[in-house]
Amino acid sequence: MAKAELKTKHQTEIEDSSSLKGTLASVFILGLFIIVSWVSVYYLFVDRF
Amino acid sequence: MVNTAAKVKVDPRDAKLSMAHFFVAFGALALGGLMGLLQTLVRSGKFELPWGIGYYQILTAHGVLMGLVLTTFFIMGFQYAAVSRTAGTHSPAARRTGWIGFWLMTAGTLMSGTMILLNEASVLYTFYAPLKAHWIFYLGLTFVVVGSWVDGAAQIMTYAKWRKNNPGKPSPLLSFMAVINTVMWIVATLGVAATVLFQLLPWSLGLVDTVDVLISRTLFWYFGHPLVYFWLLPAYMCWYAIIPKIIGGKIFSDSLARLSFILFLLFSIPVGFHHQLTEPGIDPAWKFIQVILTFMVIIPSLMTAFSLFATFERYGRSKGATGLFGWFKVLPWNDARFTVPFIGMASFIPAGAGGIINASNQMDQVVHNTIWVTGHFHLTAATSVVLTFFGISYWLVPHLTGRKLTKAMNKLGIIQAWVWFIGMAFMSGAMHFQGLLGGPRRSAFSTYGDSKQALEWIPYQIAQAVGGTILFLGIILVLVIFINLAFFAPKGEEEFPVGEAENLQEKAPMVFENWKLWLGITAALILFAYTIPFIDIIQNAPPGSKGFKTW
Ligand code: HEM
Ligand SMILES: [Cu+2]
Repeated sequence: MAKAELKTKHQTEIEDSSSLKGTLASVFILGLFIIVSWVSVYYLFVDRF
Repeated sequence: MVNTAAKVKVDPRDAKLSMAHFFVAFGALALGGLMGLLQTLVRSGKFELPWGIGYYQILTAHGVLMGLVLTTFFIMGFQYAAVSRTAGTHSPAARRTGWIGFWLMTAGTLMSGTMILLNEASVLYTFYAPLKAHWIFYLGLTFVVVGSWVDGAAQIMTYAKWRKNNPGKPSPLLSFMAVINTVMWIVATLGVAATVLFQLLPWSLGLVDTVDVLISRTLFWYFGHPLVYFWLLPAYMCWYAIIPKIIGGKIFSDSLARLSFILFLLFSIPVGFHHQLTEPGIDPAWKFIQVILTFMVIIPSLMTAFSLFATFERYGRSKGATGLFGWFKVLPWNDARFTVPFIGMASFIPAGAGGIINASNQMDQVVHNTIWVTGHFHLTAATSVVLTFFGISYWLVPHLTGRKLTKAMNKLGIIQAWVWFIGMAFMSGAMHFQGLLGGPRRSAFSTYGDSKQALEWIPYQIAQAVGGTILFLGIILVLVIFINLAFFAPKGEEEFPVGEAENLQEKAPMVFENWKLWLGITAALILFAYTIPFIDIIQNAPPGSKGFKTW
C-alpha cells in the first residue's frame, strides 16, 4: 500500500517537472484564436466586396 | 552568459544619461496623453476645442510625441543602460557620443514641437506629402534621426569593445539584442532620411516646386514598418531576458532568443508595401512578394510566444504546479515588475492577430484607413510596448537613481496597469468595431451630413471617450510613480534583473555574431524587394505635386 503510493507520486513528478504540455496547449489556443479572427474578417470581406 | 566585464550595477555616469532620456520620454507621455484625451472627447461630439485649436494639430502633436518621441527616447535610454549593465560601463568616448546624440535628438524634438504648436506643421506624424509643413519641422525630424544614430553608436562602441576583449565568446544576450535593434533602426531610418533630405526639405524651403508623392511614401514605409519593430524589440528584450529572472525562472533558450532577433532584423525591413496595398502605382506582384515576406515575421513571433509560455511553465512546475495550466497560478502576480509587462504580453495576442489581418491584401480593403488601424496600434504600441516600458521603469528608474521600489509604489504600479488595460479595452475595442463598420481614422467629429452609416458610429465614439478618460487616469498614475521613483522613493539598492539561460552548457553559436553575414542578407533582401519596383515607380512617375496646407 505504502509502496504503491510512493510509486504513483514519483511518476507524476517526473512527468510533470519537465513536461511542456501546457505550453503546447497554449500555443494551439493562440493559433486557433488567430485563425478564428482572420476567418471572421475574411467573411466580412467576402460579404462586402 | 558568464562574463567578467559585467557589473551588477549600472555606473552612475551612465545612469545619468539614461535618466536624461527618461525625463524627455515621460514629459512627452504627459503632453501626448493630454492630447489623446482631448481627441477622444472631440470625437465623441460632446466637446469642442477652445481658442481655435485644430483637431489635426493636436493629433499631430499626439502622434509625434507618443509614436516618435516617447518611444525613441525611452528605447535609447533603456538600451544604453542594458549595454552598460551587461557589456560593462561605457568608455568616456562612448558616453560623450551618447550625450551628443541625446542633445541632437532633444534639439530636434524642440524644433519640430515648436512648429506643431505654432500650427505650421499639422501634417500628422507620418508627414505624408503633399501635405506641406514648415521646413523647420522637417529639419527637427532630421536632428532626431541623426541624433538617434549618434546615440546608438555609443551602444555599438561598447559592444565592439566587449567583443574585442572576449574573443570567441558570444556577447551578453541583452547587449546583443540592443545592438540588433540599433542596427535595424539605422538601416531603416536611411529611408526616412532620404525622403526628408532629398525631397521634403528642398520642397518646403521652396528650392523645388513639386514633390513625387509615391516615392516619398515608399521611402517613408521602408522606414515605417521597421519603426514598429524598433518599438517592439526592447519589450521583447524584457520578456525574453529579464522577466525570467524576475519570476525566479530561467531563459528557455538563449540561442532561440538570438535567432528570433536576427529573423526580426532580416524580415522587418523589406515589407513596407503592406502599408501601401491600396496605393496605385505599385506593381501588384511586388506587393504580393512583400506580403509574403511580411508573413515571415510570424515565425519569430510564434517562437517568442512558445518560449515565453515555456519559461512560465517550467518555472511553475519547478514550484510544484501540476495539471495543464497549474503553472499559470503560481506566477508572481503581486510583483509589478512581472504583472505589468505580463498584461502587455497578453495584449499582444489580439494585437498580433489584428496585424495578420491588416497585412492580408483582401482584408486590408476592409480595414484600411479605418479607426480599426488606430485600435490595432493602441494594442501593439500603446499597450504591449508601453506597459512593458512602464514595467521596466518601475525597477530601472530606482536602480539608476539609487532608490527602491516601495511596496506602495509596487501596488500602485499594478493598479496602473489594470486601469490602462480597462481603458484600452474600451477605447481600442470600440475602435476595432467602429472600424469594421467603416468609421475613418484621423477624423474629427462629423455626422457626414447625417448619413445613416455615420450615425451608427457615434456610440462607439462615446465608448472611446470613456476609454480615453480612464486611460488618462492611467497616465496620471504612471507619472506619479515615475516622479516618486526618480525623486522621492527611499534610498536603497534596486536590482537590474538579468536572466540566465536554462542550459548554461549550450553556448550560442558564434555565427549569430557574424555581422557581415546578417547585414549582407538584410541588404540582399532589401535590394530584392525594392529595386525593381522602385525603378518602376521612378520611370513611370506622374507629374509632381505642389504642396498643400489643409489646416
Ligand atoms: C491616454 C492615452 C491615449 C489616448 C486617449 C489615445 C487616443 C488616441 C486617439 C483617439 C487617436 C486617433 C484619432 C484619430 O485617428 O482621429 C490616437 C492616435 C494615435 N495614438 Fe494615441 N492615445 C493614447 C495613448 C497613446 C500612446 C501611449 C501611444 C504610443 C505609444 C499612442 C500613439 C498614437 C499614434 C501614433 C496615433 C496616430 C496619429 C495619427 O493617426 O496621425 N497613443 N490616439
Ligand atoms: Cu507594418
